[in-house]
Amino acid sequence: MEKMKIMLVDDEERFLKTTKKLIEKKGYEVLTAQDGEEALGKLKSQNVHVVILDVKMPGMDGNETLKAIKTLYPLVEVIMLTGHATVDSAIDGLKSGANDYLMKPADIDEIVEKATEAFEKRQRLEEKIRLAQTKKYMRSPREILKGDDE
Amino acid sequence: MEKTNRERKEKEKQLKRSILTNMIIVPFIPFLLAMGVSFYFFTTALENNTVNSLKRIVEDHCDMIESFLVERQSDLEFITNTYNFEEINSTKAINTIFENLKNRSGAFVDLGLFDSQGIHIRYFGKYQLKGKEYKDEVWFKKVMQTGYYISDVFLGYRNIPHFIIAVRQNSGDKTWVLRATIDTQYFCTLVSKVRIGRTGEAYILNKYGVAQTLRRSGGIQVLEKDQDYLKFPKSQNSLQTFVNIDSAKNKYLYATIWLKNREWLMVVRQEKKDAYKSFYSALYISLMIMVIGGAIIVVIAIYTTEHILKRIEHLGIEKESLGNQLIRAAQLAEIGEMAAGFAHEINNPLQIIKSEYTLIETLMDDVFGKDGMEKNEDIIDIEDSVDQIKLQVNRCSEITHAILKFGRKNETKEQLLRPFIVIPEIISMIEKKAVVGGIEIIKSISEQAPGFMGDPSQFQQVILNLFNNAMDAIEERHGSSGGRMSVAVCRKNENRIEIKITDNGSGISPENIEKVFSPFFTTKPVGKGTGLGLSVCYGIIESFGGTMKVNSEQNVGTTFVISLPAIH
Repeated sequence: MEKMKIMLVDDEERFLKTTKKLIEKKGYEVLTAQDGEEALGKLKSQNVHVVILDVKMPGMDGNETLKAIKTLYPLVEVIMLTGHATVDSAIDGLKSGANDYLMKPADIDEIVEKATEAFEKRQRLEEKIRLAQTKKYMRSPREILKGDDE
Repeated sequence: MEKTNRERKEKEKQLKRSILTNMIIVPFIPFLLAMGVSFYFFTTALENNTVNSLKRIVEDHCDMIESFLVERQSDLEFITNTYNFEEINSTKAINTIFENLKNRSGAFVDLGLFDSQGIHIRYFGKYQLKGKEYKDEVWFKKVMQTGYYISDVFLGYRNIPHFIIAVRQNSGDKTWVLRATIDTQYFCTLVSKVRIGRTGEAYILNKYGVAQTLRRSGGIQVLEKDQDYLKFPKSQNSLQTFVNIDSAKNKYLYATIWLKNREWLMVVRQEKKDAYKSFYSALYISLMIMVIGGAIIVVIAIYTTEHILKRIEHLGIEKESLGNQLIRAAQLAEIGEMAAGFAHEINNPLQIIKSEYTLIETLMDDVFGKDGMEKNEDIIDIEDSVDQIKLQVNRCSEITHAILKFGRKNETKEQLLRPFIVIPEIISMIEKKAVVGGIEIIKSISEQAPGFMGDPSQFQQVILNLFNNAMDAIEERHGSSGGRMSVAVCRKNENRIEIKITDNGSGISPENIEKVFSPFFTTKPVGKGTGLGLSVCYGIIESFGGTMKVNSEQNVGTTFVISLPAIH
């Protein structure tokens, strides 16, 4: 089984540092980014499964970043972290493809729990994709060759 | 403050004055005009009528007296034309003629025959006048001059007021005069026969103002001079009317007419009061109507003014309280927004504190927890302190979450809520807690009560909040028995329904009751309440288009009244 890789995106540096330590203690791999651009840059080069994304950030805010992630990397699961209790912003996030949302201040356990759920969902999805592809190959082995051609 | 108060009082007074003046003057003008005009026309008509009737009476009466005198004169002329001097110049003849005359008219008292020298040669009557000489008497001179004469009243030899009618006859070389005396009594009766009203009377004066007949009301005797005569207007017209005040200060309405070739003046007079009796009763009635009508107008004006002012004052108070409510609502909204922004910013540092705490906890576990290392006192203190941090961070986050809830302006889904469905649902949520607290819940929710528009979860939040507050208050006063909480829903009027939640708890003190809806106001011990519950409720009910009020008495209980627009 693949090990879950989490990316934390928040403008609070200390939060990133401490939370990274805590999650790593639980045995997961953690990346951090201080803003949306950095996050997108890191996603380009690394295979991240779950992004914990703060809604309110300077520059590119949470919702914009979410949209960009979902466009570029649709398989990456995103959990919104909001300081605002407005269900509105959370709903906006969910509509734009976020997997779930968390209210600040959130427990580490909570964060990890939600992340795990999202990761499992992603795993199931990947499993399905793999199965579908396998079926496709089984039906027509030539497809593999074709695919290779491309 | 005092100045504005005084100004307002002054304004109020001014307003009252102007309303009152208008209310009185406006109806008074047409009222007075109508009264005045009708009174003027009525009295003019009445006056003309009275004067005319007096004129008519004096004319008729004058005609009557004139014709009486003419008739008596004709009686005598008839005799002088029928008889010659020799025939008449005997006692027997005179007697017979007098008897005949007496039959014609009871006015004759006696009859006498005079020769051209004025010697009374024949006489029939009760006085001893035979043989007396009248040559120098005025009447005799006149009759010799003009052929006939009707005298004024005079005393004569007999010393009794009387007047005479005399005619002269020339037959051949003989000139003689026949004279008859008219009964004063008879004549007086004839003249004063006129009766008009209570005081109307008629009498005759000669051209010097000497009374020729008695006046029924007295005052002057026959042959006395009428003092008022001097005051009569002198005019060429035979007939005239005027008003005169007599010596006894009574106002009289006079009508006078000359008769007997302007020798006698027939006077008909009536006390003005009497003549204008109907005029005066009309005047009194008019005055009475005016006074009563005026009084009614004034009373109505005062009453209406009071009513209007009360209404204005009431509206003013309503406006003020509405204004206060608006200000309060705006303040609440502002505070809400500010608090929300503030809470949002606080959440970030809280998040960091929480993470740091978790890290410390984890590290502590790592260092001390696993291998059962003995903890010294300091370590235990650190652990306790860290636990406190956790506790306080959680408390902060509770507060910030409540603030954010209070300040949020998210879209809500309004739908028709029926009180008899939603309220029992909410009651069922707290029923267990109520039973434990020994609180009796009394429901009176009519199925006929109309519904209202609102977000169900928000409504639930409001009612739960009120229930919880009520139960806290009950617990504070009664402990775990004897509590009572009632929920009543009724239709207040066509457009509103009212939800009343009443408890018999500890109540709210008067100094706090103003502040219950203010955010962050709480009487609960630190850490037990955020002070936002009721202000959130207030905001929610307001967003439903309703209002929320509270009545409370300490150690009796509290009632929250929610009024909402009804939907049928």
